[in-house]
Order: sequence, then structure tokens, then C-alpha cells
Amino acid sequence: MYARRAAQLLQELSSCEEGQLPPYNGDKFDQVIRECEEHSRQFQSLIRDKDIETKNEDHYGSFIHHLSIIRNKRCLMAYMYKRAEVIQSNRWNVGRVLPREIQDKLNFSEQEYFKDYCGVIDSYMKDLDLDLTVDMVPPKDPYIRVRVLSEIGEVSLGDHAVSLTKDSFHFLRRTDAEPFISQGLMEEFVE
Amino acid sequence: MPGYYDISDILMEDEAVSVVFHVGANGVGLLDPGTETNSVEKGAKIDLPFWLAHELCRRRAVSITIPSCFGQKMKKDVQADAACVDLGTRYPYFYEFGCKLFPLVGDKSIGPFLRHTFANRYKEMLSKSHTASLNAIPKFVLRLSKEEYQLFEAARSSMVEFKKWRVRDLGLMKTTIVGHKRKTDLH
Repeated sequence: MYARRAAQLLQELSSCEEGQLPPYNGDKFDQVIRECEEHSRQFQSLIRDKDIETKNEDHYGSFIHHLSIIRNKRCLMAYMYKRAEVIQSNRWNVGRVLPREIQDKLNFSEQEYFKDYCGVIDSYMKDLDLDLTVDMVPPKDPYIRVRVLSEIGEVSLGDHAVSLTKDSFHFLRRTDAEPFISQGLMEEFVE
Repeated sequence: MPGYYDISDILMEDEAVSVVFHVGANGVGLLDPGTETNSVEKGAKIDLPFWLAHELCRRRAVSITIPSCFGQKMKKDVQADAACVDLGTRYPYFYEFGCKLFPLVGDKSIGPFLRHTFANRYKEMLSKSHTASLNAIPKFVLRLSKEEYQLFEAARSSMVEFKKWRVRDLGLMKTTIVGHKRKTDLH
């Protein structure tokens, strides 16, 4: 009670590294909501038939319950907001498809949020006719050397097809290689 | 000012402070583990989280006792050696908490005390952050409060970037030791 559980939720979130999420703690979230309902019940029982202006013990008790509800609300909102921010950054850092271990940490509405966010970004990029998610760091060179880490197979890049077998080296355009590098299937080969 | 969604501000406001109630309050018996009825008596001394104490103090329902982190013992510790005081484990939100507490209690010395502590710790922190490498975490970092740690990280990463910039590949900087490589093989 009195927002201790809500603070624990936030502790969990802040103990993760920047850009990472803990699994969605639906149980604790629901417990905090039930606590809010309990505070609300207590509040109702304290203010019934009372004149709001008199500052007696019931007034202060009801005020404490009111503050607890506001505090719980702030904690829950901050929890959702922070998770939404990390999900948004995942679209830019990881790509359109989230790996399994990240998807498992999101609840259903967060996964829907991610899909909708991707849709919004895609329609915006289509209007601009520009892919904004490549070249997040300004490149020194339009071409880079890459080494393929896992078997990808035949891929057609531009006007020719390249066979990306494991442990093969290629000299590709940076924009073509970036989606594979961000998924971990290729790495940049630095001499 | 920290925002509504700022998680470290929310966690900071969860710190416990000891308060004395000027009024009674019904229906909130859970706040006081010693009470038998479901209410808090006038004059009771209870530990409340700061967010609650702050609001009640504004409405003059309670008065806040100065917590130990700004008390006499702490002042003596800081006087002796400010840089050795362990804020990281004991009071990670030392400065933010002090700034918020200051207007609510009568003690006017908290403000200058915070400034004095920070100024003394800053010198050593600055020099250590410039020499620290990116991987090793010096032990003294554990003694820094959250705000000091952010400053430390900013200084450390900017120093590392500076060093990288100094030795960046211009095509000229790398000098190899010109050994006496003689071709003994003459055919």
C-alpha cells in the first residue's frame, strides 16, 4: 500500500541497462491497480456525508488516500512511458523485425504499439521517398568490407545477385549491408 | 525541473523521512505499524515516504524532522574529508533530496552545506574522471551520488573521445620503429 509496490516496478525498470527492458511485469501492474481501488474505497468511506471544508481527521485521512492514488498513477504512467520510449528506439537501432528475446519481454499491447509505430515511420519515409533508418552514424565511405557470420544465401542487391555464404568476405555498399549488420548476420571487417 | 515521467525523480521521492503529525488522520492505520486503531494519532512520529511528507507539510499537517543525512554526524564527516564520504550506497539522491527538503524544514544551513560538500568532492572527482579508462571502474565511483556519477561519466567519456581524436588516423601519425632490416640474403 501507499505506492511501495509501484516504486518496486520502477526500480525493476531503472535497474536495467539503457535501451534494454525487463519483461513486462503484468502481475505487479495489476496489483498496483487493485491498490488504487482499495485507496478509492477507503477514500469514499471517509468523505461520505462530510462537509469538505472541515479539516478533521477524516479529511486528512482521505487526503492521504487521494495522494496515494495520484502517486500510483504517476508511477504507472512513468513505467509505460519509459517502456514506450525504449520500444521506439528499438525500431531505429534494431530494425523492423524484433528478435525473439526482445519480443518476449513485451506484452500484447506493446507489440501492437511497435507495429503501429513502424507503420507510421514507414508511411512517413514513403512520402519522403527516403530511408531514414540507414546511416545513423555518418559513414566515412559508401562501401565497406563485410564478413558474413551466418548463412544467408542468395540475395539480390541492386542489379546483381550475391551469394552470402558463411565466412565469406564481400565488398558491399553500406546501405545494403546495414540491415544485415544490425541483425547480427554480418560484421564489418576492420583491418 | 525534473519532469512528470522522470524515473529518478520518482525514486528519489520514495526516500523515507521521519515526520511528526500535528493532526490526527483516520483510515490510514497502515502508515503506523504501532497503532491498534485504523488511524494515526496527533503527535505520532512516523516514517513516511518523501512524496507524502512533502504534500502534508505544505498543508501544515505534519512537520518534517531533518534526516540523518543532513545531521551533525554527517557534517562532521564532511568536515573531516568530504571525498571519502560514501554517498553512493547510503544516500544516492543526496543533492536532489537536499534541494527539495530545504524549503520545508526550518534549518537554513542545509543549502550552504550541500554546496560545500559538492565543491569539496568535485575536485577529486574531476581529476579521477580524466584519468579513468573506459572499462575499469575505480572503487571510488561507488561512493558517488547519482548526480555526481552522471558528471563523472560525462567527463570520462569526453576524455576518452578526446584521446581517440588525438590519435586518429591521418595517415601520418603512426610511426613504426625503423629497424635495421638488412637483407642478408643476397641472391
